[in-house]
Order: sequence, then structure tokens, then C-alpha cells
Amino acid sequence: MIESAILIPLVTIPFVVSLIALALPSNARNTEAWIAGITALGLFILTAMQYPAVDDGGAIRHNIEWVPQLGLNMTFRMDGFAWLFTMLITGIGFLVVIYARYYMSPEDPVPRFYAFLLAFMGSMLGVVNSGNLIQLVVFWELTSVFSFLLIGYWYHNAAARDGARMALTITALGGLCLLAGILLIGQVVGSYDLDTVLASGSMIRGHKLYVPILVLVLIGAFTKSAQFPFHVWLPNAMSAPTPVSAYLHSATMVKAGVFLMTRLWPVLAGTPEWFTIVGLAGMATLLLGAFFAIFQQDIKGLLAYSTISHLGLITLLLSLGSPLGLVAAIFHMANHATFKASLFMAAGIIDHEAGTRDMRKLGGLFSLMPVTATLAMVASAAMAGVPLLNGFLSKEMFFAEAIEHHADSILDTAAPYVAVLASAFAVTYSIRFIHGVFFGKIPADMPKHPHEPPFFMRLPAMLLVLICLVVGILPGQTIGGYLNSAAMAVLGPEMPEYSLSIWHGFNVPLLMSVLALVAGILLYGILKTYLATSEEGPPYFRELKGQRIFERVMVSVSWRWARLLESWLGTRRLQPQLRLLAFIALVAAVLAATRRGVPHPTLSLGNMDLLFTGLWAIGIICAIGAAYQAKYHRLYALILMGGAGLVTCISFIWLSAPDLALTQLVVEVVTTVLILLGLRWLPKRIEQNYDGVSLETRLRRGRDMLLAVGCGAGTAFLAYVVMVRQPPQTIADFFVENAYELGGGRNIVNVILVDFRGFDTFGEITVLGIVALTVFSLLRRFRPAPDNIDSPEQQLLQSRHTARSDESEEAETASIADEYLYMPSVIMQWLFPVIIVFAFYLFLRGHDAPGGGFVAGIAMAAAFILQYMAAGTRWVEERLRVLPVRWMGMGLLVAAATGLGAWVFGYPFLTSHAQYIELTLIGKVPAATALIFDFGIFSLVMGATVLMLIAIAHQSIRKLRAAKLPTAQENA
Amino acid sequence: MDLSNHLIIAPILLPLLTGALLLLFDERKHTLKALLSVGSTLLLVAMGMVLLRVADSGTASVYLLGNWAAPFGIVLVLDRLSAVMLLVTSLLAIASLFFSLARWDKMGSHFHSLFQFLLMGLNGAFLTGDLFNLFVFFEVVLSASYGLLLHGSGPHRVRAGLHYIAMNLAASFLFLVGVALIYGVTGTLNMADLVGRIGEVPPENRFLLEAGAAILGIAFLVKAGMWPLCFWLPSAYSAAAAPVAAIFAVLSKMGIYVLLRLSPLLFGAAAGSSAGFDDKWLFAGGLVTLAFGTIGVLASQAMVRLAAFSVLVSSGTLLAAVAMSGDRSTAAALYYMISSTLTIGALFLLIELLERAQDPAAAVLSVTMEAYGDGDEDEPEEEVGVTIPATLAILGVSFGVCGILLSGLPPLSGFVGKFALLSAAIDAGNKISTLNWFFFGLLITSGLFAMVAMVRAGIRIFWAPVEIIVPRVRVIEFVPVAFLLILCIWMTAQAGPTMRYLDAAANALHDPTGYVHDVLSAAPIPSPKEAGH
Repeated sequence: MIESAILIPLVTIPFVVSLIALALPSNARNTEAWIAGITALGLFILTAMQYPAVDDGGAIRHNIEWVPQLGLNMTFRMDGFAWLFTMLITGIGFLVVIYARYYMSPEDPVPRFYAFLLAFMGSMLGVVNSGNLIQLVVFWELTSVFSFLLIGYWYHNAAARDGARMALTITALGGLCLLAGILLIGQVVGSYDLDTVLASGSMIRGHKLYVPILVLVLIGAFTKSAQFPFHVWLPNAMSAPTPVSAYLHSATMVKAGVFLMTRLWPVLAGTPEWFTIVGLAGMATLLLGAFFAIFQQDIKGLLAYSTISHLGLITLLLSLGSPLGLVAAIFHMANHATFKASLFMAAGIIDHEAGTRDMRKLGGLFSLMPVTATLAMVASAAMAGVPLLNGFLSKEMFFAEAIEHHADSILDTAAPYVAVLASAFAVTYSIRFIHGVFFGKIPADMPKHPHEPPFFMRLPAMLLVLICLVVGILPGQTIGGYLNSAAMAVLGPEMPEYSLSIWHGFNVPLLMSVLALVAGILLYGILKTYLATSEEGPPYFRELKGQRIFERVMVSVSWRWARLLESWLGTRRLQPQLRLLAFIALVAAVLAATRRGVPHPTLSLGNMDLLFTGLWAIGIICAIGAAYQAKYHRLYALILMGGAGLVTCISFIWLSAPDLALTQLVVEVVTTVLILLGLRWLPKRIEQNYDGVSLETRLRRGRDMLLAVGCGAGTAFLAYVVMVRQPPQTIADFFVENAYELGGGRNIVNVILVDFRGFDTFGEITVLGIVALTVFSLLRRFRPAPDNIDSPEQQLLQSRHTARSDESEEAETASIADEYLYMPSVIMQWLFPVIIVFAFYLFLRGHDAPGGGFVAGIAMAAAFILQYMAAGTRWVEERLRVLPVRWMGMGLLVAAATGLGAWVFGYPFLTSHAQYIELTLIGKVPAATALIFDFGIFSLVMGATVLMLIAIAHQSIRKLRAAKLPTAQENA
Repeated sequence: MDLSNHLIIAPILLPLLTGALLLLFDERKHTLKALLSVGSTLLLVAMGMVLLRVADSGTASVYLLGNWAAPFGIVLVLDRLSAVMLLVTSLLAIASLFFSLARWDKMGSHFHSLFQFLLMGLNGAFLTGDLFNLFVFFEVVLSASYGLLLHGSGPHRVRAGLHYIAMNLAASFLFLVGVALIYGVTGTLNMADLVGRIGEVPPENRFLLEAGAAILGIAFLVKAGMWPLCFWLPSAYSAAAAPVAAIFAVLSKMGIYVLLRLSPLLFGAAAGSSAGFDDKWLFAGGLVTLAFGTIGVLASQAMVRLAAFSVLVSSGTLLAAVAMSGDRSTAAALYYMISSTLTIGALFLLIELLERAQDPAAAVLSVTMEAYGDGDEDEPEEEVGVTIPATLAILGVSFGVCGILLSGLPPLSGFVGKFALLSAAIDAGNKISTLNWFFFGLLITSGLFAMVAMVRAGIRIFWAPVEIIVPRVRVIEFVPVAFLLILCIWMTAQAGPTMRYLDAAANALHDPTGYVHDVLSAAPIPSPKEAGH
């Protein structure tokens, strides 16, 4: 167990070092290279040391619990196959780090580069060493994210930005599909553990979800490994710095897809569906990639398409479902990684030295940089599958597999021909690269004069080429054992017979190789002159730019369609929203109610009270009238609303609820007055001509009316049904029985409000307070609309009259008290003390009779309103220091303190205590603690109401300022 | 009853007292007000942690207000679900409060009081066990949030605020109608008491109960932002000042919370023939909301709208998950909810900082550039990277983390939540309904589109500008963002223990017998008189 823990640092160290690298200053390029290099090399050595444990089908496992409930664990698992990949990732990673040290410009902020590179390395190591499939997906997506950052490293280039985004979009799409596929596998198998899944191959293949699983997993693998038609991102990712291309697009990231297909090969492969989908994709990719590669002018573009083609080759091998094909696939993964990485490095050197990667502008470099040229030539030969190099061996194995019979399908029959054709293309583009860059004349317009790069820049490529040679010449002695244990890790102990040697005698594969070589050379001879001047990309296809198509699709789907749908499915206007709300509530209620049939309540008109009915008829007319007039005649609407409110008050009295009636009455009066005061500042609304109403408008109004009638009738029906049926046992019975006994008050409503459900009241007064604060802050910044600045007509007439009589210049600013409401205003002022006493009276009697803190508070506020109305804002505020916000704060604190008082006696919040005390003169007074609570309510209600009043009242002061402002500007 | 028993009510009283106390001070005493407000919120965080421990014992703690036994008085109930909601609210609150101290709290009057009142309302809504009291706290939240939404003024805030208040007042009205009907049929307002009473409702009265529940449900769906009742939400959230929008991230979750709380109580197994009453509709509604939110995310040009539509994505996901009403899906939904709330909160804060780095014209350009190319693509550009200023780098990392969280990419908590939801969706034994498959597909697609939108925005902000404007960001503004993101990362690392807690919470929700028993058996403290007997 302890030994297996070695896998944790193997995966985590790159991330840790990545963070360190990020923290270094941006010019620390040597330090960066050193720490990154040491990390990669250290991991490489560490991995190499683990080989004995993974040899012969062995595996190291280490499990850390993460979210066991979901089957999400961190299981690190390394077998022979993962080991081979780990070696490639760390080994090539090390070489890329050295290479990048010389490639990147001294001005480049390399900390970011190395940090991303290391994090990417860690993600790749995580992918290959995952023993839990979800964990694999986690690291898989991380490779997408870090590759995005790496490709976009030179983000000031538009091409880098676009390439990065495209790569991320496509690979992340694939990652999500993979996640879905893995989730389905987990659903089928009941576990995400790799070993369990690998053991359940037949269960998965037999399951009805097999095809969806297969398709989803394959989309994941194809996007990552740039299989047709998802290959478009790879050529665009070439805008990354070349070390990134060398690493991501040869050895690591693109290999993740084929790695996954191999990993799940025992589970998913071997069915006709697998053969068809994977085979078709592989074959198309192999052929198209090779064909496109011929016509690239950018060296990196050529290499990119060649990579695509080689990945197609690996995929095709995997599709066959034969163990030998799998061995060949693994072998080719390793071979391709080595020669392609070295080729990318060579391409980078050329770019670095010559200043361009365009083959039309390059030529004859052999004489200027012979070492690099030799390296590139050997690597290209490996890419073309020339004997004595590693590429040749795996290609021979591929040919041998292609001619085998695997399935009765046209794909299988076509395989050998496609293989030869694609190989011929590979030969053509390899020669093209070598001949076009290193031979021929040196073009005059080459941007720089190239010479050999520093030794250490060449060293990585040199080492890789050396590997190509050694493996190519002595395959059995070098790679043989490792390949065997890698294949065994996938296939299990039943390994196929195969021999790794250069010479297998004269056989069909050799013939095919020779054929491809000759055809390739001939093809280059034919195309040579055309290619020397042609545009980028193959003929005809070059018009079909993958990137452009992708961008168009992205913009259409993610922008145009989205906008269209948003405006179609949504609205930003209020009216439709309210209409929808009413409609949906109506439909929901009707559907819910009619689900099991609605009984028909009998409407008995016999015991109807005519007076009460008449009263309600008036109320209803008022309410409808208010709604009808609300749009253009606000004042009428308000008066009608007052009428409806009054009817409600009377109803309360009628139904023996004087307390409610009193509260309702006071609230009605005060709110009506406040709204009246506010009405003054609303912008004018001019009634439109009714003659020209279009049919559409009529229909709309009809619909709205139907909706309104429906909602109203529905609510009325529900209310009626509830009221006429026998009520159930309710908690109200308890209140009625216990109000005096336990609550100490005869006024049940008040006892409910301040005791039984005192907490509700407490909440509601808070609401009132907040509303007041909101109204205040809303109106604080409010300036009257221009058409409201003038005083009302009546007032103007009056002022003109006054001005004529005594020439007062202050007419405009004076309050109405001085003008035309002199008598009423005097009375209003005198009423101040009277109302205060009345409020006090209401307050004290609250616990036993109608009244209470709320009503008292509003009554008190009414006193202030009268003062403001009678004497004007200025007059009042010069004489009275009104601090409503303090009153509110104090009210809340008093109410809360009353509730908290109970804590002292060991009771919960708001527990009340009631008794009566004798006061001289007044007599017996109820002194429940609820009274103090009630005082809190009083204080808050008064404060809040007065605050709203002040907020409105101050408009009239601001009005003057607003009115003066434009005139001042006109003068200036 | 010793003082520790009162801890349950403290999350309501503390912000209330603070808010009220702040009213006594003049607006000019900024520092004092800020100190009090921060102190109160910090205490709330501490309380949230303690209460989480308390709740994890498994029994619901009950607080009888006014010493009246349930169902007559009002009760507060603390169980695992309410405790975790309290904690999330307080954590989000402390972050947005700190953020606001940089400048927002001085942009209008009574910011701190309103903020504290909002917290009081939220905490009350999460704690109360009484249907009408829930209404009261909804009103507290509504009025305080309206005040906060208007904070900072400006025509677009007033306009969005009008839509907000109109829709939500209409919803409150429906809430009242629904509660009235349910009370009329069952005769009780206590949630625990309702469980038994609903079973006893005679068949001929069931239609009233169900109509009431449907109307009540619509009110909650407006709060939660279900399509097509959600159009007010993106405008309101994107108009709000950044710290306000951040705390609003938990507001829409209040509707989800109530649905989670009430549907097993009202329509669980004990509800007799009304059991499982509205699941299908809720599920479908959730799916459409998810789709609409995703479309909105894609269609957003301004970053704030993107974030606001993410709220809808989160809501839709949660509604569908609630409708699945399984133990596993509920636990997954809770995890997702916490993660997405914190993420969206952080995103709202971050956006404000990023927009300071923005050339206003760039926003318009980003899409047209994408559509038509920017013309000079073929010109080779210098292949030397650009050094990023530290501020921008830190913001960039935060933005990246936000994007990963929001789109549910591995490895952060967004992924864990989404993964839990996905696996719950297809974990219905052998028969997986079509709706579950839709949910499965939509959830994955929404992640992809969120990523596309975030990448587009990220490229626009960090990569595309030719001239980099380094935004002036104060530490106090950045720390809250980092704090929220670190919380998400912590949730990822601690996903195991978190999931265990939420699993237990989900189990208790779906089997409310323990909850009902704990509430109805809570005895008031005998009065001295009675004790004397």
C-alpha cells in the first residue's frame, strides 16, 4: 500500500510545481526551465523505477476516498499500458522543456508557459493513471482546459485565440459526451472502478444502452484524437508555440483519445457497431489527413494533418477488434509520438532560424543547417515508414492486419487499398517536406538568414531521432518487453503471437510498403511544380475552410439562434408577465381543483340580507370602477377605491369585528391621503382617442377581460365554498377559548396579534419599516417630471389673486395656509393635541377593546399629516424636529427588547406576562408585557408612516429647485 | 431554558436588532455602521456553523415562540436543511457585505439596515415552521430586497425594480390566497401539523386543498424563477448593484427551499390520495427553465445578464431535481444548490471588477468580431507573449475558476454537483423516464453552453483588448470573491463529508415523521404558577 502511494506524487507534483512556476517573476526563464525540467526528469526516472511492478500484467493501485456515496473515488492505477504512456508523457515532456527554453523569446513571460505546461503534464498523467473512470473524465477535461490556455498562450494573435477556443469547444464537447457515456457505463455496471468495468465487458455489450454508451464514449475519444469530422480543431491549434505543438499534438493530448479507446477496448470493441463506427472514422481520417497534408504550405500544418492521418491509422487498427491490431496500435502510438515530436521540434527550429514556416519561402536549408536537416530527414523517413526506422515496423504490422479478414463488410475489403493509398500519400508529404525545405535553391525572400541553432535546442530532437533509429533496428531488444507488458495490460494473459523484427521475408505487407513508397515518390514528382506555388490547402477543399464553418456554426447557434429564442420565449415587458402569472395561476388552480371533480355548492338566496347585499353591490361597483378608471383618471380611481375600502370596513363591523374595522378605517384614510399627496407628482396621462381602436387591440382587451373575469370568478367561487361549508377544527378555536385565560386580554384579535402570533406582527412591523425606508430612498433621488413642476391650476389662480392684492413675491413659496384654506388649516393645527390624546387612548385600551399600538401609531401619524397639509413642509419642520427613522429604530428595539425580556425569566422569545395595575385617576389598567411590545409597534408604525409622508412632502421643496434650475440655465 | 437554547432564534433577532440599531445613527457615521453590520454578519457565520453542528445530531430543534405549543403558536424548527441554508446565506452575506464596504454602502441611504433586514427575512424563512409566518418572512425579504435593488438609484434600477415588485407582490397575493385555502380546509398553519391534517381532509374537500396548494405553488415558482414566470429575474438581478446581486443569488433559492420543504410535508406519503401531486409539472417546468436559462446565457452580451441567466439555469436544474423527489436526487440538488449559489454570488462580484477593465465598445465588438472575423487574420503577428499585470492575472484566475464552476467542468464543486445530479437522474432502477433523459441531456448541454459563453466573455475581457486597462481593484473587493471561490474549492475537497450531511438532510426531508414528531411534541415551559402546583 505504501509503495502504491508513489502514484499520488506522480500525478500531483506537476500541479504543485506549476503553482510554484506561476509565482516566479516573468523574466526567470532559466529558473523556470530548471524546475520544470527537473520535475519532468524526476518523474520520468520515478516511473522507470516502477516497471518491475507493472511487468507481466501487474498493476499498482492506490485508492483515496473522495465522495464514496457517489462512487467517486480517486483511484490511481498504473499497469503496463499506463506505464508506457507515463514514460512518453514525462520523457517527451522533459525534452520539450529543454527545447522550449531555447525556443521561447527572452521577452516572453515564461512562468505562465511553464506553469500551464506542467499542469497539462499532470492532467495527462492523471488521465493515463486513473483507476476510476470518472476520475479519468476529470483529468480529461483538465487537459482540455490547459490545452486551451497553452494554445492561446500568444493570445494577442487572433489566430491563437480562435484556435484555442475552437480546440476547447470541440474537446470539451467531447469530454461532456464522454462523461455521459461513463455515467451510463456506471449505471449498467454499478461502479466506475476501471477494474470492475473491464471485467464487465460482456454485460455492457449485451445491454440495451450499449449503442448510446459506445457513441458517447467514441465522440469523446474522436474529438480528442482529432478523428474525422472532429479533426478541424487540430490544424488551427498550430497557432500555439511550437513546443506546445510538439508536446500536445504529437505525444500527449491527441493520444488521449486513442488511449481511451484502447483502455476500454476489452469492454467496447468487437461488435459490428464498434467496427463500423470506429473503422469508418479511422479510415476517413487516415486518408483525408494524409491527402490534406500533401497540400499544406505551412510546415506545422503539414505535420498537423500528418498527425491526424496517423491517429486515423491507430483508430483503424483499434477498430478491427483483433488482438494483433491492438498490439500494432499501441506500438504505433509510441512510434508516432517519438518521430512526430522530433519533427515538430525541427519545424520550430526552422521557423526560429528562417523566420517563416511557409514552404514556398523556404529551400536549400541543408547547406546552412546540416544537423537539423539530417534529424528532420530521419524523422520524416520514420513518418513515411522507411525500413530501419520505427515507423516502418508498426506500418508493416498495420498492413498485415489490413489484409486479414475481420468482418464481412465493405470497410474490411477496402482496408488494404486505403492503407496503401494513405501510405503513398504519407511518402509524398514526407518527401515534400524534406525536399521543399532542405533542398533546391535558397529563396531570395527568406525573412532571416538561418544557421544551426544552439546545441541544446537540437538535443531533444536528436535524442528522439536516436530512439526512432534504435527501435527501428533493434525492436525486440529495446521496445519489445515494454510493448508486451503494455499490450498484456489491455488484453490480459491471452496474448497473440507476434514478432518484432525488421525482416519477415517477402510477403504481402512488404509488397504493399514498396508499392506505397514508389507511388508516393511518383506522386510527388507529378505534384512538385504545382505545390511550389499553390495556395494553402488542397484544391477544391481549401474553399471549405473548417475554421470558417465552425465559426459560422458557433455564431449562429450560440448567438443568433439564442437571441432569437430568448426574445421568442421571453419578454422584458411587465404587462405580459403579469398576464402570464394570472393565467398560469388560474389554469393551475382549475386543473388542480377539477382533477377529482368539484362539488356544486348550493347557492341559497333565501337568507340573503338585502341591505348587506346592497352594500356589497356598491363595493363591487366601486372596485370595478376603480380598475376601469385607473389608467387615465387616477383621482377618480382613488376615490372609488376609497369607496370599496369603506364597504370593507362596514362589512367588518357588520360581521362583529370592530377591531378590524377600526384598523381598516384608519389605514384606508391614511393611505388614501398619502396616495393623494403622491398623485400630484405623477406624470400626466392623456386619454387617447377611442375611435381608432384596431381589431387587434379589441381582441387583446377581450382576452384580458376574460382572464380577469375568470380569476375573479374563480377566487369568489373558492371563497364561497370555503365559507359555506362546515369549518374544520381550527387553531382559532383555541385562541377564542384561551385569549383571556392565557393571554390576559379580552380583545381576541389584539391578543392574537401581540401574543399568540406576536412573532408575525413583529415581522410585519419590520416589513412596514423597510417599506418606509425604501419609499424614502426611492423618493430621495426623485425629481418631479417637467410637466408637474408648475403648481396646480387652483393654486395658481389663488396666487395670482393674492399677488394682485398685496404684491407679495413669496406667493409661490408660501403654504396653502396663508392662502385659500385659512380656516380649515387653523382647525387642522388645533387638532394636533386632540389626535395625540386620541391615539394614546386607542393605545391603552387595545388589549381589551378595539385599539392597539398599530391603530394608535397610524392615528398619531395622521396628526402629523394634518400639520404638514395645513402649514406646509417648511413651517412644520422649522418648529417640530421629526425624526421618524429614530422612532422606527426605537420601535423595533423596544418590541425586540420586550420579547427578549422573557429570556431573563427562562422563557422563549415573546413570552408574555399579564396583570392589571391600579393607577391613580385612571383606574385599573391592564399591564401585560404585551403592552410594551405594543408600544414598540406604535413607535414603528408612526415613524414609518411619517417617514413616507416626509418623503412625499419634500417633493414640493425639491419642485422649486427643479423649477429654478432650467431658468437659471436659460439666463446663462 | 438556558441561553444556548435561544440560539435558534438568534439568526433572526441579531440582524433585526442590528438593523434597528443602525437606524438610530446618522448616515454620516459610516464606519460605525459598517462595523456593526460586519460584526453582526460575522456572528451570523459563527452561529451558522454552531447550528450546523446542532442540527447534525439528527433531531429537529424546536423553538416555541411566546411559549405556545404547536400548532397554536409559531414555531421555529432547525433541522439539517435549514441549518445549511442559514450557513450558506451568512457566508454569501459576509462576502457581499465586505465587497460593499469599498464603495457601494455609501451610494444611498440605509444600506446596512436594509441588508440586515434582508438577512433577517432570509433566516426567518429558513427557520420558520409555520406557513403564515413564512409569508411574513417572504414579505420581509421582498421589501428589503426591493429597497436594496433600488440602492444606487438610476432609471434602469427603478424600472427593473418596478417589474420586480409588481411580479412579487402579485405572487405574495397568490401566497395569501393559497394559505387561506389550506387553512380553510385543514384548520392549521403549522407545517408539521399539516402533515396529519391533510391525511384527514375528507374527499369532498380535497379539491379546495389542491387548488390552494396549486396557487401557493405558483407563488413559490415565481420566487424560484420558473419559466414563464421568470422574466423579471434577469432584469432585476442585472440591474442590482454588485453586492446586492450577489446576495440575491440566494433569494431565488428561497423558493426552491420552500418547495423542498413543503412538498414532502404536504404531498408526501402521508397525504393520502394527494400524494405526489405536482411532480410532473414541476419537472417539465424545471426543464424548460433550464433550457431558457441556457439560451439566455448564450444570448447575453453583457456579463451581468449572463450571470443573471445563470441564476435561471440553476433554478431550472433545481426545480427538476426537486421534482425527481428521490433521496439521492435531493441530496445532489442540495449540493448543487450550495455550489451554484456561492459561484453565482462570486461571479456577480467579479463582474463588477472586470467591467472596470472594459472598454464599453468592446462588448459590442466581441460578437461582431466573432461573426465577421477581424480582418487582419492573415497578417503574421509577433510571436512573443504579453506580460499580464498582477491584478489582471488574479482576476483572470478567478474568472477561470468561476467559469469552471459555472459550467460544471471538472474538477470543482460545480462538477461534483452536476455529476451527482446526473447520476441520480439515471439511477431510477431499470426504468428511466423520458423526462429524466431530457434532464440528463439538457444538464450536459447547459454546461457546454455555459462554457461557450464564459469562454467568449473571457476572451473578450482578457485576451482581445489591444490596450489593457488595468482595473483599480481594492483588496477588500477582491477578497470576498476569492473567499467564495475558496469555499467552493473547499466543498470540492470535502465533498465526501458534505454529501454525507446532505444525504442525511434529504432522508429526513423525505421521511418527515421525525420532524413532525419533534415539532408537535415540543412542550412549552411550565409557567411559575403551574410549576408551583
